[in-house]
Amino acid sequence: MTISRRVFVKSGGLALFSLGLDPLFLARAAFAVRPSARPPDRRILVCLFQRGAVDGLNMIVPHGDPLYYRERPRIAVPGSDVVDLDGYFGLHPRLAALKPLWDSKRLAAIHAIGSSDATRSHFDAQDYMESGTPGVKATPDGWLNRYCQHDREHQDTPFRAVAFGPELPRILAGTAPSLAIADLQAFGLRAPQPAARDRLTRAFEELYAGSATGLLSTSSQEAFQAVQTLQRVDPTRYQPANGADYPRGRLGKAMLQIAQLIKADVGLQLAFADVTGWDTHVNQGASEGQLAARLAELGQALTAFAQDLGDKLDDVVVLTMSEFGRTVRENGNSGTDHGHATAMLVLGGPVNGGRMLGHWPGLDPANRFEGRDVAVTTDFRDLFAEVLARHLGARDLSAIFPGFTPDPARFPGAISA
Amino acid sequence: MKTRVLLFVATVAARPPVIEAQHAAPLQSPGGHALTPRDSAAHALNRLAYGPRPGEIERVARAGVLRWIDAQLAPDKIDDDIVARREREFDILKYDRGDLARLYAEAQRARQERNRMGDTAADKPDNSPVAVKGRRFAAQVQQLAVVRAALSERQLYEVMVDFWTNHFNVYFAKGADRFLTPDYIEHTIRPHAMGRFADLLIATAQSPAMLFYLDNWESVAPGATPPVVERARRRAWINVGAQHAAPLPPARAPKGINENYARELLELHTLGVDGGYDQHDVIEVARIFTGWSIRRPQQGGDFEFHDWAHDTGDKQVLGIEFERGQEMDEGVRLLKLLADHPATMHHVSRKLCQRFVNDDPPDGCVDDAVAAWRRTHGDIREVLRAIFHGPDFWAATNMRAKVKTPLEFVVSAARAVAADPDTTPRLAQVVARLGEPLYLHVAPDGYPEREDAWVNSGALLDRMNAAVGLAAGRLPGAVATLDSIAPGTTDVQQLITAVDDRILGGTMSQNTKRVISEQLSDVKDPVQARALAVGLAIGGPEFQRQ
Repeated sequence: MTISRRVFVKSGGLALFSLGLDPLFLARAAFAVRPSARPPDRRILVCLFQRGAVDGLNMIVPHGDPLYYRERPRIAVPGSDVVDLDGYFGLHPRLAALKPLWDSKRLAAIHAIGSSDATRSHFDAQDYMESGTPGVKATPDGWLNRYCQHDREHQDTPFRAVAFGPELPRILAGTAPSLAIADLQAFGLRAPQPAARDRLTRAFEELYAGSATGLLSTSSQEAFQAVQTLQRVDPTRYQPANGADYPRGRLGKAMLQIAQLIKADVGLQLAFADVTGWDTHVNQGASEGQLAARLAELGQALTAFAQDLGDKLDDVVVLTMSEFGRTVRENGNSGTDHGHATAMLVLGGPVNGGRMLGHWPGLDPANRFEGRDVAVTTDFRDLFAEVLARHLGARDLSAIFPGFTPDPARFPGAISA
Repeated sequence: MKTRVLLFVATVAARPPVIEAQHAAPLQSPGGHALTPRDSAAHALNRLAYGPRPGEIERVARAGVLRWIDAQLAPDKIDDDIVARREREFDILKYDRGDLARLYAEAQRARQERNRMGDTAADKPDNSPVAVKGRRFAAQVQQLAVVRAALSERQLYEVMVDFWTNHFNVYFAKGADRFLTPDYIEHTIRPHAMGRFADLLIATAQSPAMLFYLDNWESVAPGATPPVVERARRRAWINVGAQHAAPLPPARAPKGINENYARELLELHTLGVDGGYDQHDVIEVARIFTGWSIRRPQQGGDFEFHDWAHDTGDKQVLGIEFERGQEMDEGVRLLKLLADHPATMHHVSRKLCQRFVNDDPPDGCVDDAVAAWRRTHGDIREVLRAIFHGPDFWAATNMRAKVKTPLEFVVSAARAVAADPDTTPRLAQVVARLGEPLYLHVAPDGYPEREDAWVNSGALLDRMNAAVGLAAGRLPGAVATLDSIAPGTTDVQQLITAVDDRILGGTMSQNTKRVISEQLSDVKDPVQARALAVGLAIGGPEFQRQ
């Protein structure tokens, strides 16, 4: 008979406690990371995937570099429009709402970050960014799921790892339990009236409590616990706080529901959402246009999320990611083609904000990747590993990123020590 | 192992006369556990088929389980008229690869046009006619798999199609695989699903869908140049002169060897991860497959061997020499060698035992399957026969030891209520919601064969919702025929007995009987009562197992 891995791991964690070993102590010893003031259980990571390869150069604009303007005569964001950050880089004007977060040191940006694999295929590059193993296609699970498998300090509540969307993304695929939720309001048993729904829920709960065995039993217990929790939270009545105004559409809805789960204190530790529309080969636009519209939505969603959370943002880190960047030079259709390195944002209370992170290789053709793209100077795994270690207290980083040796000396410094 | 083999011989020798007899007496499983003909019929229907339809357990038990299994092992001799008729309603089957390639090219053009208009706001679906058609076809391809699995009399064959589709996984949503996958299922997997493993392996290696998915189509010998680029180079030379040679068109400059297919061929399709090869072998295999490529979509996208791209040196794989100059034959020879390699036999047999016997396959089952493979040089039917006749298949510990996959759950539910699904993609959508959308597993390993990959809280709730919806007739396109289970009645005991008997094969627990009976106690409408009983049974814990 199979002993469910999940049950086994759970009891393994308990055994560690009963031996009197403090996992937190192990964490510090193994990684020499300064312990956080708060219990790690409260800390939350939100990953936001910009699918389609965002043009990092028009998101975080190197307006201090004349080469940027020379290479992009039609799509460069004029210096007068850029929201300056440090004299050299600046935010796209449609991200202006994020500037106060930068000023209050809760937003950092990193440039020239990307994959160690050179692929310019969306499919492969997204796959690698989610599996956390560039170049290795056969990795069965995603790195967020592996984090859950290896870090047992956090309790496995049904809402520990949640992806907002119809299906579980690659990044959360694996043996640790994780949920895909298209809509919080529709989670659970469905019936025309609340009374009928509650009755059906109780009936199934009794069926499984009485006759389910093995993994069916543990999973069903988690399921009904989750349903109960959500009933208490009542997602239909949620009102964002502090006048937060989420954008319409899937991204805004996902961020709102993540905020809701965080505030409901249901044990959420990892949340994932994605947003498409970044593959701007044609008529990308500059201060206005296609990319600007996408960025406006992103900026509004992040700003609303931060406002809505208020003090709770102190426990939260939001990390944006995208499979690769785009060509330095604009193409013949006033757009950009698939490139290499891109830019990412790190937002939240624990962030070492108000700074540009990473090493900027410049736009000089001699320093470009294959003569055309921004070169990768930070392996994305160094940033992901830092966030997992310093924010969530992950210990076993080499198990989360197999084939890669995370080295704190290479961490970009996104999280305040 | 010796004791196992003895036991195996003893049980097989002892069983057939007992089981073949009409209304056979309970037969002994190796554990000494008595199996009634109904129990063995239910077990066989759960594993070799997508679960019983109402009344099917009795039919199979009466005909003799082993006789039914033998019949399933010869699918060509089973009449499957119902499916043939239903297939004619699927437009997608009227399109060959060339038609689909043209549709794909048209969709690409339309998308570029849309991009040019700056009309790509995210979350706004592309509703151009060609995009709508593309989506409808994709949904049909998925639904067709569900319909065949639900309706076919060749149940074992459909199970094997699913098994191989997963073993030789491609990703439907990767670029050109959007138009190559339907053809892959129809003309690569299905014709070979119960033939010889070597033929199936060669077919997948030469399938455009796999060549594209694992990038082999662009794998070329280092320094090799396609004739088109070569012509362009000469033209540039003539036009511009030696001093100002124009740069090559950068778009499709050959990149050299791509190892993806070679690696997955060894690790996943044949030898297995511990199959005794190393990185050197991977590179040599990749060199052998240089030049195995595809024609452009505009030219139909067929398999094509490019001799200009083939690595013409000597190669050595697993210590075996492949002399230069054999071109495409090198690859075919290698595939035959891999198909009959002991590590391949073990790796694939193990997966088959996982699928049919237990997530943790018993060694004895694997040994039996390997022996049959060796004896018949990879005749898939004989490997399966060895598994189904082996003692592990019938062992009490392996009965109901597996949890149904999303596809198995949805199809078995549809069969349990005698639904007659049409071309609307409702059931395929449920399969997707439960976590394993058809043909959409990104990584080349296919959906895992172990329950922890698909059993989780969210998916379980969705199973309950799907069960209740299906029983209540809320799934258009898959209407349940509950009369085949029981007449509408408020006689609770009659309902519970019928549902236990015809849907759960008599496995309903006392607890489930109690809960259902409580739930039905105040339902006045006989049709509602019946739907609720069926919905609770299919959404409940017993039905999740097989």
